[in-house]
Amino acid sequence: MTSKKIGSVMIVGGGIGSMQAALDLGDSGYKVYLIQKDSSMGGTMVMLDKTFPTGDCAMCMISPKMVEIARHPNVDIRTFAEVTHIEGEPGNFSVKVKQQPRYVDPEKCTGCGLCEKKCPKLVVSEFEQQLTKRKAIYSMLNQAVPNTRVIDYDNCLYFQRGRCRACEKLCPFGAINFEDTAKEIELKTGAVILAPGLDRHNPGIHQELGFGRWPNVVSSIQFERILSASGPFMGEIKRPGDNKHPEKVAWIQCVGSRDPHHANPWCSSVCCMYATKQAVIAKEHDAHIQPTIFYMEMRAFGKDFDKYVDRAKNDYGVRYQRGMVSAVHEEAGTGNLIMRYADTDGTIKEEKFDMVILSVGIEPHKDALAFASIFGVEPNGYGFAKTTQFKPVETSRPGIYVTGTYQGPKDIPETVIQGSAVAGSAMALLSEARGTEVVEKQLPPERDITGEDCRIGVLVCHCGINISQTVDVKQVAAVASEQENVVFADDMMYACAQDSQDKIKALVKEHNLNRLIVASCTPRTHQPLFQETIRDAGLNKYLFELADIREQCSWCHMGQKEEATKKAIDIVKMNIAKVRYLEPVKTDSVAVTPSALVIGGGIAGMTTALAIGDQGFDVHLIEKEDALGGLVRNLYRTLDGSDVQTFLKTTMDSVLNHPRIHVHLGKEIRKTDGFVGNFKTVLSDDSGIDHGAIVVASGGIEYEPSEYGFGESERIITQRTLERELEQNLPKPGTHYVMIQCVGSREEPENYCSRICCQDAVKNAISIKKKTPDANVTIFYRDIRTYGLREDFYREARNLGVLFVRFEPDRKPEVISRGNRIEIKAFDFMLQKELAMEADWIVLSTGLKPHPSTEKTGKMYKLTRNPDGYFLEAHVKLRPVDFPSEGIFVAGLAHAPKNLDETISQALAAAGRAGVLLSHDRLAVSGIIAKHNRDICMSCLACVRVCPFDSPYIDPEDGRVSHNEVKCMGCGICAGICPAKAFQVNNFRDDQIIAMIDAVT
Amino acid sequence: MGEQAVAVKEDVISTVEKPGEIPPEWEPKILAFACHYCAFAAADLAGVMRLSYPMNVKIIRLPCTGKLDHYHILRAFERGVDGVFVAG
Repeated sequence: MTSKKIGSVMIVGGGIGSMQAALDLGDSGYKVYLIQKDSSMGGTMVMLDKTFPTGDCAMCMISPKMVEIARHPNVDIRTFAEVTHIEGEPGNFSVKVKQQPRYVDPEKCTGCGLCEKKCPKLVVSEFEQQLTKRKAIYSMLNQAVPNTRVIDYDNCLYFQRGRCRACEKLCPFGAINFEDTAKEIELKTGAVILAPGLDRHNPGIHQELGFGRWPNVVSSIQFERILSASGPFMGEIKRPGDNKHPEKVAWIQCVGSRDPHHANPWCSSVCCMYATKQAVIAKEHDAHIQPTIFYMEMRAFGKDFDKYVDRAKNDYGVRYQRGMVSAVHEEAGTGNLIMRYADTDGTIKEEKFDMVILSVGIEPHKDALAFASIFGVEPNGYGFAKTTQFKPVETSRPGIYVTGTYQGPKDIPETVIQGSAVAGSAMALLSEARGTEVVEKQLPPERDITGEDCRIGVLVCHCGINISQTVDVKQVAAVASEQENVVFADDMMYACAQDSQDKIKALVKEHNLNRLIVASCTPRTHQPLFQETIRDAGLNKYLFELADIREQCSWCHMGQKEEATKKAIDIVKMNIAKVRYLEPVKTDSVAVTPSALVIGGGIAGMTTALAIGDQGFDVHLIEKEDALGGLVRNLYRTLDGSDVQTFLKTTMDSVLNHPRIHVHLGKEIRKTDGFVGNFKTVLSDDSGIDHGAIVVASGGIEYEPSEYGFGESERIITQRTLERELEQNLPKPGTHYVMIQCVGSREEPENYCSRICCQDAVKNAISIKKKTPDANVTIFYRDIRTYGLREDFYREARNLGVLFVRFEPDRKPEVISRGNRIEIKAFDFMLQKELAMEADWIVLSTGLKPHPSTEKTGKMYKLTRNPDGYFLEAHVKLRPVDFPSEGIFVAGLAHAPKNLDETISQALAAAGRAGVLLSHDRLAVSGIIAKHNRDICMSCLACVRVCPFDSPYIDPEDGRVSHNEVKCMGCGICAGICPAKAFQVNNFRDDQIIAMIDAVT
Repeated sequence: MGEQAVAVKEDVISTVEKPGEIPPEWEPKILAFACHYCAFAAADLAGVMRLSYPMNVKIIRLPCTGKLDHYHILRAFERGVDGVFVAG
């Protein structure tokens, strides 16, 4: 029986991974149901202060996404909701969802917060990690989505004691509903994505560390809140016990991780880096702080992570102390903490600190097992969702996908990658149902304002009290109303609330307004909202300006009401001066060629091609060699023993037999012209391809060693050779294999971690020991970086008797060949002694390098690369598969070293992102672009030389400069340099800027 | 001639290089041109972090500081601002 597929996807969970998936699916013609257990979207990321390795503010990155989700016409958010039952098959599921009562009507609530102020009941705040209190009516965080309150039933005085109802009396909108009840709804959906996120390990279990006992021992998530400007101490670093500023601060790593006896056996993947980040940020907040990080192994395995740790060490003076902490005691009377730890040479030391932070690990959600049974998916042994190396985002149940930390510990970019990857997979599953459940918005015709007098409306927002407690909002509105051309000015409690949008539309009509200014928050987040509103009222959306009097006035001049009001008036006057010169902007759209070009026929390129082809788009797969497969051709087993060659063969067969995929072997790209949606590529055989998107999956190469006597003896080999050998032959009993890590990694000129080599060594070591228990393996390493669930295999290798000996880069092992026997000399830091041993084989764990073609591809498409030569994505955290240039995506080793499953995830993500683009028949071109006046242009070519996007060009017809507006990104560099002022940027024209200057001078 | 030239030069230097007395309460008027994507975002961030700075800065948002024209800067000085801050 095959039933009709449904064009909607349900996403369970509300963190960054789920939001990425929701936006990708919502933007490409699918209806999305977001089922979130908490009262707001956000997940773990909203609790974080900053993110590694860039130090970006977490909230500033995630809140625009949250607003986008909240406003998305195709995303239906159900907070306080949980799935209770699911049945059906891929393409057609029926899901029962239980929605808990909120007791606040989100339709009526504007989020003004009056209720919260008057609520008499204080409750310990979960969001602030018990460091402060909230009210019984509250929102999870200030930037909650949906922006509405919720009543905490267990703590509400009315529910518990039968009286109070203060919130109900005070709410000006009648949004409080004490009669609210739980509801069960049934939804139909084609696919389900599980993204329930993580729980943090409870550090209280480790009594020796004193959490919960000594007040100045805090968990790392508490410290995130302490660092946060919106946290309990407003970003000032104080210790909770006595509010003193700590100086000596210690981090203890692996609390709850890599500890099979007391806690979790796996590595949590993120703690080494977040502790480094916290130490750096703490130092930035307060230069007196002396951070020390106590760690077992520094697992800085990600892109640019080692560089970040180096910076922390060298520029910020963060001390890294290798060793395990056995106990933390409080010093009587001072609140300081005495830590006892084992140093690298085994001696026990004691050291005093002012504050201790426990780097707690990641666990599956506490309801993960029940969750798995509701959805009928198989958990792994630890409660994470079970997936395979080759299908990293598919659960055991077809049509149900998994993303983020429910699949295993991971950081934000990997979660975002999986978010796009599941979106891409769902798009492929439901390709024929695309566009069937979504609604196209119908807009009224645009009013022609030619010949009308300028009629400006000004609305000044209170933003609850965010603006009005510092700025006299009514006075600003009054001054605005006196300005020339202003026909209407008023104040509003929340200009962005839904009811205000209706009011704005009515005002535009009533006063026949043809320009609008809202004085409230930043145009960076809210301009599109108001632009949509005036467009609904029949005005061109570019007849709008947002005057930023919150971020750039009330919030930075608190307590200076008179001066701040003056400044707000000036800001509004500048915008009034500008809007007088605004004109309607006609935006264009261009047709999209629904096919993709994939560069590279390795596993990344093939996976991307299949996932795009399955969505129903044509794919051209370009491989310069004569065969598909890339580096994976030399791989036989994954870490968990899965058969890589069979997988490779199946994948190649699927690619070669796919009706949508056109494979071009032995070809290279000669050139590509065009722009997003409309590229034209010529291959080395002169054939031409039209395509709308480009995926760069040009791969990497293995480092060719010259160190440790490689090439001098046939008994000195690399892991690849050993792997092939092990696939064919059994190791002889008594043979001694010595593996050396970090060959061509973590040292100049390849000063980065290649991420895969520790697993490679562990994998081959396990294979040797399993096949021939009498054979011996010794691994010389710097840090064993078997992150995440890979830690299991490190433990297995140790249990099988593999020896691990640590070395440091200034004291590397020495290899001396003597015929068939080879001697190794090394210094053992554990024993503090020189070691000498004989080996039959030396196996070098060589690193990865970007493919030599990366440079050429980078130049061709103007893609930047990091210092190590890998492509630089648009945003390290939130746009990990996009390039800044639109329509171009990246996957696999071209982006950074990664394992096979991670490459597959990223390839699926690139397919998802490309699918979003290709699913559009036409692409709207932004109205904020440079307009070129050919009549006054002298064709001096200044613009042609400076434009980063190649949009001005020499017209072959008459040899004069012309402008391709589709390529223009509106930066206006051309306008700045043009001596004739032939370029003017819409809404940033010279007359508009001069008017603003004149208005405040 | 030589002496005359020296005299003129000294005269010019005295008018150009001798700044007027700065009144004790004087606050410069500063106009900032900020890139939408970075410096304007940074100004927003300062607000989000509740960082305080003097009032006498007004910000004009540009799509990129590359859009800035020397004419805008000259205009600002001509209209009496004391300092122009370009951030992007």
